[in-house]
Amino acid sequence: MQATAVIFGAAQVESETFDGIVRRCERQVLGTAFRILGNWADAEDVAQETFLRLHRHGTRFADDAALGAWLYRVTMNLCFDRTRAAKLAVELPELRCPGISAESCVMRDQAKDKLMAALAELPTKERAAVVLREIEGLSTAEVAGILGSSEVTVRSQISKALGRLRLLLSREEI
Amino acid sequence: MTDDGLRGLLREMREQPLPADSLARVRMRVAQGVQRRRRWKIGAFVLAPVCALAIALALRSPAPPQLRLPGLPPVRVEPAVMRTEPPPVVRRNAVRRKPVARRPAEPPVLIRIETPDPDVVILLVGN
Repeated sequence: MQATAVIFGAAQVESETFDGIVRRCERQVLGTAFRILGNWADAEDVAQETFLRLHRHGTRFADDAALGAWLYRVTMNLCFDRTRAAKLAVELPELRCPGISAESCVMRDQAKDKLMAALAELPTKERAAVVLREIEGLSTAEVAGILGSSEVTVRSQISKALGRLRLLLSREEI
Repeated sequence: MTDDGLRGLLREMREQPLPADSLARVRMRVAQGVQRRRRWKIGAFVLAPVCALAIALALRSPAPPQLRLPGLPPVRVEPAVMRTEPPPVVRRNAVRRKPVARRPAEPPVLIRIETPDPDVVILLVGN
């Protein structure tokens, strides 16, 4: 739960307006949706639906961690629905690396492009586990809670996913 | 690529800036959705009592006029009780009775009473 609290800051949820929550959490919701779905149009739809569900649900949560977990869970469920419904087109992200030389920045961007493409090749559940654990930085217990599975399953999914990613990236290098 | 290198690359992806136009679009669409929902709520809030009133008026039928004669107590009408008789038991193996032979008709009894008046005679006829 600590990781989620760090992501969402320490502001009190109950006293915050809906607009304030949207502004504070939009990056997490949109970013997570994009990493799962691989394109901005679908990620925007999912982010919009997630916040509208939050509006219907109400913004009263026990703490920031509860709000964060709720948002992640809804985002993930909506992403799973979308991936089930249609084969999605993967857009490669436009990445920038401030503070690094131009050459290494280009190489880094290329590596991230390849990684994004490799992520899209993973099964949805494994992709979700990697995105939440490795990119969003949540704990294994939090990821298990969001995905509705056990910690053992999440660990296994992440291990498998990292193995596949390494394999896919090494194929790309060859 | 090593495991650490891969994890490092994944962590970097978290820091990547999201396109500002995407964020703005999401914000705008959420605001529009919330507005739409508010309008629906207000509409429902206004329409619900109106509909309820209309339904109540439609369901309300005028009471039938009661006819009462002056000085007479109101007639109490009791609901008719229908009695149902049990269905006749049909005996499948009922023994058929032989038809009883009718007796031949006996001649009627005739009593003749004569009165002192020769024109008046009383006749009594019995079976």
